[in-house]
Amino acid sequence: MLRDAVRPEPLPEAVAADPRTEPRSDPRSDPHRPGGPAPSPAELGRRGIAVTVRDLRKSFDGNAVIEGLNLFLPAGGFTAVVGRSGCGKSTLLRLILGLETPTGGRIDLEGSAGSARRSEPPKRIMFQEPRLLPWARVVDNVAVGLSGHGSRSARRTRALEALAEVGLSDKAGQWPATLSGGQRQRVALARALVSRPGLLALDEPLGALDALTRIEMQDLIERIWRTQGFTALLVTHDVAEAVALADRILVVEAGRIALDLQVEVPRPRRRGDPDLARLEGRILDHLLGTPQG
Amino acid sequence: MRASRLERLRDGALPWLVPAVILLGWQAAVSVGLVSNRFMPAPLDVVRAGWEAGRTGELWTNLGVSTLRALAGFVVGGGIGFALGLANGLSRLSERLTDTSVQMVRNVPHLSLIPLVILWFGIGEEAKLFLVALGVFFPIYANTLHGIRSVDPGLVEMGRVYGMSRTELFTRVVLPGALPSIFVGLRYALGIMWLTLIVAETISASSGLGYMAMQAREFMLVDVVVLAILIYAGLGKLADTLTRRLERACLGWNPAYRSA
Repeated sequence: MLRDAVRPEPLPEAVAADPRTEPRSDPRSDPHRPGGPAPSPAELGRRGIAVTVRDLRKSFDGNAVIEGLNLFLPAGGFTAVVGRSGCGKSTLLRLILGLETPTGGRIDLEGSAGSARRSEPPKRIMFQEPRLLPWARVVDNVAVGLSGHGSRSARRTRALEALAEVGLSDKAGQWPATLSGGQRQRVALARALVSRPGLLALDEPLGALDALTRIEMQDLIERIWRTQGFTALLVTHDVAEAVALADRILVVEAGRIALDLQVEVPRPRRRGDPDLARLEGRILDHLLGTPQG
Repeated sequence: MRASRLERLRDGALPWLVPAVILLGWQAAVSVGLVSNRFMPAPLDVVRAGWEAGRTGELWTNLGVSTLRALAGFVVGGGIGFALGLANGLSRLSERLTDTSVQMVRNVPHLSLIPLVILWFGIGEEAKLFLVALGVFFPIYANTLHGIRSVDPGLVEMGRVYGMSRTELFTRVVLPGALPSIFVGLRYALGIMWLTLIVAETISASSGLGYMAMQAREFMLVDVVVLAILIYAGLGKLADTLTRRLERACLGWNPAYRSA
């Protein structure tokens, strides 16, 4: 298995610092962001769940999809998994979320505070489709993310807060059928985030959106990740998206990690940044099997 | 604004245009003597018969008896059909155990059981209740089962991942998802309910609308016969309207059911 950490170089000293310790004075920061000081990195790290995967195997009817995969995702990191269709990247995500049972190996999830706690923050997933309940109003759909926790009115209040965070306060009382595709996916994001998850898995959540909406959603996801500090795991076909969002990119091939790259470009990242473009090209070359030029 | 009110009036009246034209033509045909009123009474004769039957109270008694029978049979048959549909939709075991038998019985026209039912129950209330319940059972059963089967598995998975309990999953995801299909079954069942009851009443009863029509035939009271038929039409329309209202109230989230 090939495991090389490649840094896009050369990088000036100043921008190579940990992206999340960078001052939060970027002009693109969104007006929807709730007020108050940004949480300190230490505080952020405590929220995230670290994931350790050891010798993971999964096969469906004898066809091995994941073959002996090892992986450590640190708490609070943003990791993207890319690969061709059928390479097992979605299966990997579903295994980590507990939606599938592994054929072999183990997966450990723990809050970075130490051993597994009783009141561990939940893990959430955003699917490729919004999967909203068509018969529930937007705010009730968001409240599904809190299922069973707190009183009805408390759930509603938190759901409205989460909706405000994704900029959809005015749609709270509507039916999902009246929203656009991008708005539905934002509601799904609010539903995933309302319970303050420790791990957010994103299973190609932006695949069905148009290019501009996709960029807006990427910015929104990045901004919320930076304020909330959960561990993010994004599975995507779109290498540009992975490069724009993640700290680390895993290229999965035939059920194994074929490439493990750090993205040390500071945030906020400018679209069209030459370092990002170089990295994207490198990953695409790898995926398409052409030699590097 | 006035134009829109006028439009609304026109839209409301439009569905009734065809029946009105038919009625007028019918009245004219009988009045002119084109049709003998021994075979087809004029609409006004029917109205008179209705007035007469209403005045003596005979109409209301019969109507009440029939409605009660219909509803009782509907509740029993529909309730069992709904419960079994749910059970078979949610449990493989229950489905394997019962579905084949239900499908076999379903292919027997339930009205063909009338002679047997008369032997079993005589011409009492049980016979009618049994037949209506049997007729109503199948559409409700089949559509409830189908509704539950066709609930989006993605939504069920979402509910599980988001920590819904089994009850929550049922009340918040499965049942609302199955509801449009259940309503289809409900409307079918209401139609079958009246059909079965009227047939059963014409063959074996001593009260009710069907009985009233049969009596009238014996005495060649064509106007009462036609009156009874028109009442069936009215009752069918009433049931349909109520279901539509209910659908709109329950399925407001679905663009297909939203009122225009």
